[in-house]
Amino acid sequence: MTSQNSKTSNRWLQPRRVTVIAMHTFTQLVRMKVFYFLSVFALIVIAANFLDLPQFNGPEAIGVGELQMLKSTCMGVMKLFAVVFVIAATALLLPKDVEDRTLYTILAKPVPRLDYLVGKIAGVLLLVFVSLLLMDLLMTVVLSFRTNHLLVDQLSWAEARGWTQEAIDSERRDIIAQGPTWSFQGAVFAIFLQSAIIGAVALLLSTFSTSTLFTIILSFLIYLIGHFQADAADYYKATAEAGSNAFTTTMTKLLSLIFPNFQLFNVIDAVIEGIPMTMNAIISLTGLSLFYVVLYTMLSWFVFSDKEF
Amino acid sequence: MTSETAVEIRDLVKDFRSPLRGVKAFRAVDGVSLRIQAGEVYGLIGPNGSGKSTTMKALLGLVAPSSGTCSIFGKDSLKVDSRNDVGFLPENPYFYKHLTGAETLRFYGKLCNLRGKLLENRVTELLELVDLTNARDRRLGGYSKGMLQRIGLAQAMVQDPRLLILDEPTAGVDPIGSRQIRDLIMTLRDRGITVFLCSHLLEQVQEVCDHVGIIFQGKMVKEGRLDDLIAIEDQTEVVMKNASPELMEKIRTLVEQEESATLLRMGKPRTTLERLFLRETQIDKK
Repeated sequence: MTSQNSKTSNRWLQPRRVTVIAMHTFTQLVRMKVFYFLSVFALIVIAANFLDLPQFNGPEAIGVGELQMLKSTCMGVMKLFAVVFVIAATALLLPKDVEDRTLYTILAKPVPRLDYLVGKIAGVLLLVFVSLLLMDLLMTVVLSFRTNHLLVDQLSWAEARGWTQEAIDSERRDIIAQGPTWSFQGAVFAIFLQSAIIGAVALLLSTFSTSTLFTIILSFLIYLIGHFQADAADYYKATAEAGSNAFTTTMTKLLSLIFPNFQLFNVIDAVIEGIPMTMNAIISLTGLSLFYVVLYTMLSWFVFSDKEF
Repeated sequence: MTSETAVEIRDLVKDFRSPLRGVKAFRAVDGVSLRIQAGEVYGLIGPNGSGKSTTMKALLGLVAPSSGTCSIFGKDSLKVDSRNDVGFLPENPYFYKHLTGAETLRFYGKLCNLRGKLLENRVTELLELVDLTNARDRRLGGYSKGMLQRIGLAQAMVQDPRLLILDEPTAGVDPIGSRQIRDLIMTLRDRGITVFLCSHLLEQVQEVCDHVGIIFQGKMVKEGRLDDLIAIEDQTEVVMKNASPELMEKIRTLVEQEESATLLRMGKPRTTLERLFLRETQIDKK
C-alpha cells in the first residue's frame, strides 16, 4: 500500500481530494443542523403567502403587488440566509480545525494546503447552493400556486367590470411576469454568486485573523462596502478628474479591484419588480463572481501556505 | 531491521518572532540533530516547553525551520510528498465529533487516495487493531479520551505509513488505555514500522523505546541507545526465583569474601503501581 501511495501524485487541486474535503465540510455543516433553517424559511413563505396587501393602488394592482411582496420577502430571507450563513460558516470552520488540531492531522497527510482551502470553501458553497435550491423549489411551488390563483381572481374581476380584451391581456402579462419566471431563477442564482464572493472574502480573512468574531464583522463590513464602493468610486473619480489627482485615481481603481461591486447584483431587486433578467447579465455576473472567488482564494492560499501551526 | 534512515534532522533551529518590534525572538529549538533508522522506536523526552512538539511539527512541515533541515525517508519535510509515508497523532486530538469511528478512518483514508474495497478492508482492520470494532458506528463526540487516542492512532496508520509520529500518545489516558496504546506501539515495532514519539512520561518511554533523545530548553542534551544510556556500568543485577534464606546467606558470605565487590541490596523486587493496578482491574473484569 505504501509504495502505491508513494507513487500517487500529490499535485495541487486534485479533484478527488478536493471533493473529499468539500463533501466532508458539507456533512459537517449538515450535522450542525443548518437545514433546520429551511423549515423556518418554509414557515415564512407560507405566512407571506397569506399576508394581505394594503390597497393603496386600487384593486387592479393587487395581483402584481401581492406577488412582488411575496417574492421580496422570500428573496430577502434567502439573501439573508445565504450571506449570514456563508460568512459565519467560513469564518468558523478554519479556526475550529486549528483549535481542535484536526488541521494537523489533515495537513500531516499528503494534502496540499491549496486543496484544503478549496475543499473547505467548496463545501460551504455546496451547502449554500443546496439550501438555495430547496428554498427556490419551495418558493417556485408557492409562487406558481399564488400566481395561478391570482390570475383566476383578477381576470374574472376584470371581466366582470367589462375590461377590454387588450386590457385583460395586459393584466395577465403583468401578473405572469411576477410569477416563477426564468428571471426569477436567475435572481436566485445571483444570490448564490453574491454569497460565493463574500464567502471567499471570509476565507481570506480567516487565514490571517485570530478571532472568528473579527472575521465575521470585517466580512460584513466588506459586504456593506461592496454596496457603496461603486458610488464612492464614481465620486472620487469625478473629484480626481476635476483636480487631476493621479494618486486618487489609482487608489480608486485599486479599491474597485479589491472590493467587489455588489451594486451589480441589484438585478435581484429588478427581478422582484418584474423586470426580466437577461442571459448576458447572468453570464457577466458569473464571470465577475468567478474572478473574485478565484482572486480571494488565491490570496488566501498565499497567506495560508506560509502559516505555521 | 534495515539500515535505511527514516528520519533525519540536521541542526534544526526554530525561532518564533514576536509581531512587536524590539521584542527578541523566542528560540524554541536550538540546533537539534537526530537520526532515526527504519524500524526503530525513538523517544524524545523533555519537560513541557522544551521544544519536543515544535521539533515534530517541523518534521511534518507544520512549521518551517528557521535554519537546518528535516527529511523523512530522504524527502524534504516541507514537500507534500514526504507525507506519503507518515502518520501523525497530535497531542490531545479532538477530530471531528460529528463523524463515527469508521467515517473518520474513511475520511483520512480518502485523503490518502484509498478507495473502495481496499479502504473498507483497511478501516475494518484498523478498528480491530485498536479494539474499537464495537464503537465503529458511534460518533466521536461520545468517545472517551482513551478511545479518541486509539482512533487517532488508527487514522495515523490508515495509509500504512512506514513512520508514525506520536505526540504524547498516552497523555490524559487512564492506565488501561495507556497500556493498550503501548502494546499497540510494540506491535507496530514488531511489524517494522518506525515510531517517533515524544512524551514526558519517562517510564512509558523506557518501556517501548530503543533510542532516546533528551531535549532541554530547545537543545538536545543527551542521545543514544536506551540500554546504553541507562545501564549502571559498575553494578550487576541477579534476579532469582524461590531462593531459600540459606542460599541468600551463602551468596552474602561469598560476596563478603570478595574484596573488590560490595553487596548493595538484597530483598524482594517490587512491582510497579501500574502493574498492580492493571492486574487488579483485570481481576475485577473477570
